[in-house]
Amino acid sequence: MTLKSRPAIALLSLSLAAIALTGCSEEAAGGSDVAGDAGSCAPEDVQLVGQVRNESNPYEASWLDGGDAFAASVGLEQNRLTYDGDSTKQQEQVRQLLAGDTSCLVMNVLPNGDSDTTPIVKGADQAGAYLVTQWNKPADLDPTDYERWISHITYNGVESGQQIGDALVEAIGGSGGIIALQGVLDTAAAKDRFAGLEATLAENPDVTLLDQQAANFSRAEALEVTKTLLTKHGDDVLGIWAANDDMALGALEALQQAGRAGEVAVVGIDAVPDALTAIEGGEMTATVSSDGPWQGGIGLAIGYCVATGELDVADVSDEDRAFFAEQFLITDDNVGEYLTPETDAADFECGNVFNRVAGPLS
Amino acid sequence: MTSPAEDSREVVTAPPRPRRGVSLREAGPPVALVAIFAVFAALSSQFRTVGNIQNILDAAAVLAVVACGITFVLMMGSIDLSAAGVMATSALAVALLVENNRNDNDLGLIGIVLAVLLAAALGALSGLLLVLLKVPSFMTTLGVSAIGLGLATLMFAGVQPNISDAGLESWAVDRLLGFTYLTWIAAGCVLVGWLIQRYTRLGRYAYAIGGAEEVLALSGVKVAPYKVAVFTLAGAFYGLGGVMVTSQLGAGLVQAGKGYDFLAITAAVVGGTLLTGGRGGVLHTTVGVLLIVVLTNGLVQVGVSPYWQGGVQGLIVVAAVAAAVVPLRHRNQVVK
Repeated sequence: MTLKSRPAIALLSLSLAAIALTGCSEEAAGGSDVAGDAGSCAPEDVQLVGQVRNESNPYEASWLDGGDAFAASVGLEQNRLTYDGDSTKQQEQVRQLLAGDTSCLVMNVLPNGDSDTTPIVKGADQAGAYLVTQWNKPADLDPTDYERWISHITYNGVESGQQIGDALVEAIGGSGGIIALQGVLDTAAAKDRFAGLEATLAENPDVTLLDQQAANFSRAEALEVTKTLLTKHGDDVLGIWAANDDMALGALEALQQAGRAGEVAVVGIDAVPDALTAIEGGEMTATVSSDGPWQGGIGLAIGYCVATGELDVADVSDEDRAFFAEQFLITDDNVGEYLTPETDAADFECGNVFNRVAGPLS
Repeated sequence: MTSPAEDSREVVTAPPRPRRGVSLREAGPPVALVAIFAVFAALSSQFRTVGNIQNILDAAAVLAVVACGITFVLMMGSIDLSAAGVMATSALAVALLVENNRNDNDLGLIGIVLAVLLAAALGALSGLLLVLLKVPSFMTTLGVSAIGLGLATLMFAGVQPNISDAGLESWAVDRLLGFTYLTWIAAGCVLVGWLIQRYTRLGRYAYAIGGAEEVLALSGVKVAPYKVAVFTLAGAFYGLGGVMVTSQLGAGLVQAGKGYDFLAITAAVVGGTLLTGGRGGVLHTTVGVLLIVVLTNGLVQVGVSPYWQGGVQGLIVVAAVAAAVVPLRHRNQVVK
């Protein structure tokens, strides 16, 4: 087979060059144009919008419920939006929102990926809508460069990965083999959490990582991968570290099907209801909670406080504009407190909205 | 110059043309399967253990059932992207109909049958939209997938239904002759699929529709009902697949069918079922399913880094398909 067409070769080399270039190009940060005065909204005029990927997972459903709880506490209603994990659909929804009356619009948004945050931030800033984003943003995009993008909240994945790693090491008695189930490899969450596990391993030389595989945050994939790894390593596996609870639950099913339920310690992250039940029942060792209902409420609360003038963006310190929020390790000692997720109205008072700041984004 | 007598004798003694499925030309995928299996077995001592082979067949069960359904649609020359949505609906439906932590239903086997029927109804909907509104199957099935995911999300209602039905849970755990019930169910489905394809009018017409629909229509066959029937059959297979996933995971998940749509199409094509229709079949597809599952399992057993696995897997699949179609390739062949 010979390529005779020169244009085809040229096109091929161009695309290869383009792929190579993407490695070193970075998007320039944008400036800010602001419309209208901040903080002049009457409380009853504020519109609250919570946007997450979908309501078909318990974590994001509980997030929206937390938003509803906050909205009810101030006598408003939250507009619940979901975009099925589709970036295009998310942008479309945001554009529609911003095309309407935006002067008192408060948005608490979970961007689908890092790159989706930029257009949302720019759009909201231009339209004068109050915006809080969570989890995903490009490293060089900073809320302090914008007036209406009040805060970005995320969680330190290295810390949570290490917290459950340490809990796992303790559960297997400080030595032995473990396996790790990674998330979607090209996400920051997967990378950071695994870096946390590596930190644990560095401190515990007697614990060996027998194998690490990607199960893409999916329960079904984790089930298959764990079954395969259990046949590969057999009884050497004493513990399973999973980068989220769905995978941990898949691993639990695999252990049950292999007849080894209860012999292997399993840890995850997210504190989904099934994982909490499993911890209560002693099948799972630990998980970490970011407190979904709090996340759903806090973004709206921050925006509401600024929109109504109770909080001035100028008074918010730079560290509070982009921060790691506190997260909580859940083991059988304290699982009872987390079994019924609910919000605490005191967390959402304007003076308390930054109480859970655990540290600035590095 | 040969005499007429010799000629006629040759015709008489020439072996009958091999029927579909047994000709040498179609031996590519099975050969690729054996080759890949042999390579992994040589590289990893863990790979060739009995436990791992059980594991591979257990892992192939759901995909085999889904791919069985999709094969009939592909044979017809249509495409079906509805598996993910249909599986989600049946997964949630079955989780809510058998004994679970969300409601007081405890229908057992009847619940499973109802979930499969619901899935078959969604399949029928795809078929009806195709023949009544003349919307291409690519679009109807994509739409039905979205409908299925929507129904599943409504049934999910924020709280995951966990099943406690002993019968359904045992499918994934209990073993008969070393294999889980799921594997036997999958084997049964492949057998049923093959019988339908080989011995019923539905199966034969599916081939004929894929081969030359116009000819069939011109010869007086009403094609539309058979098309709807094929999509319904496919929906039932996806539904059973969704039930099987629920049994494996112990819970009804909206994501139950995620990825199975394209994985099943890949398996069918790798096995030698053509996207243009009229070729291939259930057994071909089953070989494709095994090829993909062996590959996924083998790459883990051999210890390929997870960062490389996706790419390596794609490369081997493309290479296997390319090798498999070598005997089929000829100068003027059109590939779309």
